[in-house]
This record gives sequence, C-alpha cells and structure tokens, in this order.
Amino acid sequence: MEIAWSRPISVQLHDVHFKYGDTLALRGINMSVRSGEHIAIIGGNGSGKSTLIRTILGLLTPHHGTVMIDTVMNTPATQQHIFRSVAWMPQRQHTGQFPLLVTELWQSSGNPTRAQQFGELLEVAQLHNRPLHVLSGGQLQRVFLARALGSLAGGNGLLLADEPTAALDFTGQATVAELLATIPSTMIIITHDRAMMQQCSRIYEMAGGQLREVTP
Amino acid sequence: MNPQWWTLFELIPVQRAFIALLIAGSTLPIVGVWIIGLNIIPVRFAMMHVALLGVALGTLAGFEPLLMGIVLCGVTGVALAPLAKRPAGLSGPMGLVMTLAIAIALLVLSLSGVNANGAFEWLWGSILATRQQDLVALVIIAGSILLVDWHYRRQLTLLLYDREIAITSGINANLLTALLMGIIAIAIAAAVRLTGALLVDALTILPAIAARNLGRSLGDMVKWAVLIGFAGNLIGFVMTLMLNQPPGPLLILTVGIITLASYTYRPKE
Repeated sequence: MEIAWSRPISVQLHDVHFKYGDTLALRGINMSVRSGEHIAIIGGNGSGKSTLIRTILGLLTPHHGTVMIDTVMNTPATQQHIFRSVAWMPQRQHTGQFPLLVTELWQSSGNPTRAQQFGELLEVAQLHNRPLHVLSGGQLQRVFLARALGSLAGGNGLLLADEPTAALDFTGQATVAELLATIPSTMIIITHDRAMMQQCSRIYEMAGGQLREVTP
Repeated sequence: MNPQWWTLFELIPVQRAFIALLIAGSTLPIVGVWIIGLNIIPVRFAMMHVALLGVALGTLAGFEPLLMGIVLCGVTGVALAPLAKRPAGLSGPMGLVMTLAIAIALLVLSLSGVNANGAFEWLWGSILATRQQDLVALVIIAGSILLVDWHYRRQLTLLLYDREIAITSGINANLLTALLMGIIAIAIAAAVRLTGALLVDALTILPAIAARNLGRSLGDMVKWAVLIGFAGNLIGFVMTLMLNQPPGPLLILTVGIITLASYTYRPKE
C-alpha cells in the first residue's frame, strides 16, 4: 500500500500541571517529541498517563504550562485546528447503545478508503456494515485503530493512542506493532505491550503525575 | 362505529387535523431520534413546563402568550446545551428546569391574577382544533427539522454516538448540540399546542424507541421512525374517525402497539 504520509509534527510540553478538583494529576510535565518520533508512555493505574495524553490532545486544559503541537499552542481557540491535525485513539472506545456502523466511523477519518484498507490489514474490513455495539473488544480496538491510521493517511501528522492493543491477543499486538513501526508519523502511545514498546524510539514512565525517561 | 366515517373528511377541521398529523407524524419522529441519542427523554416534561412559564410571562407582560412560550422553550433549550459536555449529561438539569419552571410559572400566574387552568388551556391543544396558523408553524418547524437532518447527518451520526469522538473529529459539538436543543424544545412546545400533551409521545418518542429496536445506524433509525410515525398516526387517525372516539388515546395506542411489536424483532448480529 503506497501512501503519501503527511509531514510528521512535533510536540512540546512545558511545565504542564493539571488538577482534578484538589488532586494534582500532572506535576510540571516537560516533554519534547521530535517530528516522526515514536514515544511509548508506561506507568501504573492512576499515574496520570491518560490525563497526559488527553491534555496533549486538548480534551483537558492545563491549569499551568503550555502544550505546543507543531507551531500551534493548544488553547481553546486553536482546538478545532489541533483536532484536525491529530489522529486519536481513545482507551474507551464505546459509550451508550446508539448505533454507529463501522463504515460510518471510518468515514470520520480523513481518508475512509485508507481506513478500509487498514481494516483489511487488521482483519476487520468484513465488519464494515456492522454496528459498533455488537463487536467484541478486540474487533472494536482494531476498527478504531484502522480509523486512526486512516486519519494519519488523510493528512494528520500525529497519532495519540491510549492503550491501542490492550484488548488484542499476542499475535494481534505484534501485528499492530509491526504496522505502526512502518509509519513515519509522530506517535505518542500509552502501552503496556512489550512489542509496542520495542518499536518506539523512547520510553517514558509516568508515576505520581510526573514523567521521566526510562529508555534503556 | 361510524359506518360513513370517510364523509368526515369533508369537514375543514378534519382535513386540517389530517394534514397536520401527516406532517407532524413524518417529521417529529426525527426529533425523537435526537432526543434518544442525546439521552434527554425528560426534555418533553421540562419543555411543557417552560412553555407554561412562557405563557404566564406573556400574560403578565401583555405579549402573545403562546409565542412567548415557544420562544422561551427555544431559548431554554439552547441555554441548556453547554451542560451536555458534563459527564452526567442533560437529564439532571432537565429535572431542575422542569421544577423551577412550574414553580416560577405558578408564582407569575398568581401575581398576574390569571387562573392556572386558563394558562394551561393555551398549551393543551387538540389535533381537531388545528388552525391555519398552526399548520403554517408546523410546516416551518418540519422544514427546519428536515434541513438539519439533511445538512448535518454525518456530524449527527458521530455526535449522537459519542460526543468525544465527534469533538476529536473536528465537529463543533457545542454549536450542533445547541442547534438540536433549540429545535427539540421549540418542536415539543409547538407539538403540545398542536396535539395536546398526551399525543406528543406518539409523534416523537414512541416512533424513535421502535426505530432504535429496528435500526442499525442513525440513517436506519430516521427511516424507521418516520415510517412508524407516519403510518401509526395515519392508522390511528382513521380509527379515531371510524370509532368516533377522541384522537389522543387511539393515536397513542396505535403507535404504542407498533412500538411494543418492535421489541419482538431480533437482529441477526
């Protein structure tokens, strides 16, 4: 599959703090991700990994500090622009029981044709006419991954993924890790999957709302 | 049973009621689908009470009470929309709005010296009392519903599935929710006036509930809801004339039986 990937984009975090009520979830996060780098973030439950990635995306607004996506500072005013630059794969892929077909989800990526092709690679293309709420956890994760990759092929230069292989078996995890390794876009991936970590150039660990590099 | 029921169609009020029901039955179920997607089923009760408050304020201030009720519903719907982004959604605020609206309405009615039952009469219409201006208002509302459904179908598909997916796909969820809430509120207020409180469910929620059981996507749901709303109200209205009974209960029963039957459908997946 020949794809003209768009220019990968960089991410800069400077002294980012975020609070849930009185609880400080992010404590002065500094991180610099160069264009095209693949970064893994690991850490225990409740350490702040998902809060961090949602803050980078702009779903959460930091109480202090700045997030730069490429040359644009992430603020409520630039949110729409950021959302169009980022391929997002959430940890929680399904809410409620309102019907949505797989093909409709793929149409929301920047490139539905590519999303369908990635669906074939991930062995879920045959599910295109099924509603999401009848899929298994593993199928759902592959479908959302195909959408995220379709977004990257459609012009988004950054993938943010929150445990994208958590519901897959070992073979599926290895397949996805191999596939992501071939994609030149910038990636920040929360994961506990060894195969995924191995394809990343740097590994960070979150603990108590703080981030440190642990790349071996 | 009325053996010559079809001769009743020669009467102008019956003709108007028939046309109004067909228009409402084929468009208001789309509003029902939005209501289910936004998980705001209590919105009907909330808006009925806000409309009453509007009537009370209109009476006190000397404005057209019904128009005031519809406008206040629209404004309240749009004003509630920002609360949709909170984790608990809109159901809680709907209950609060309903309680506050009825309390303030009764206070305003007391201050203006208007009998509360009199105020309710402004709102609680009957399909057989449909006026020319009601038909015009209904056509405008029906047109707005169809326009929004046609123009924003792709965005609605994502928004009604999951707000976060919609936002991160670049959809302005706040604006779209405000638009939906405004139209939903106005449509309910107008439908209550047009058909009476009981019939609102036959036109909105019941066809949408049946469509949820039968449909596999938003597009499917809209088609089923419109079909059931149209057919159910048509059959119900004919039965009303044939049996010479009030329309509200027969329309609700007809659409209700179709909705009940939809629970027997088992999808293949």
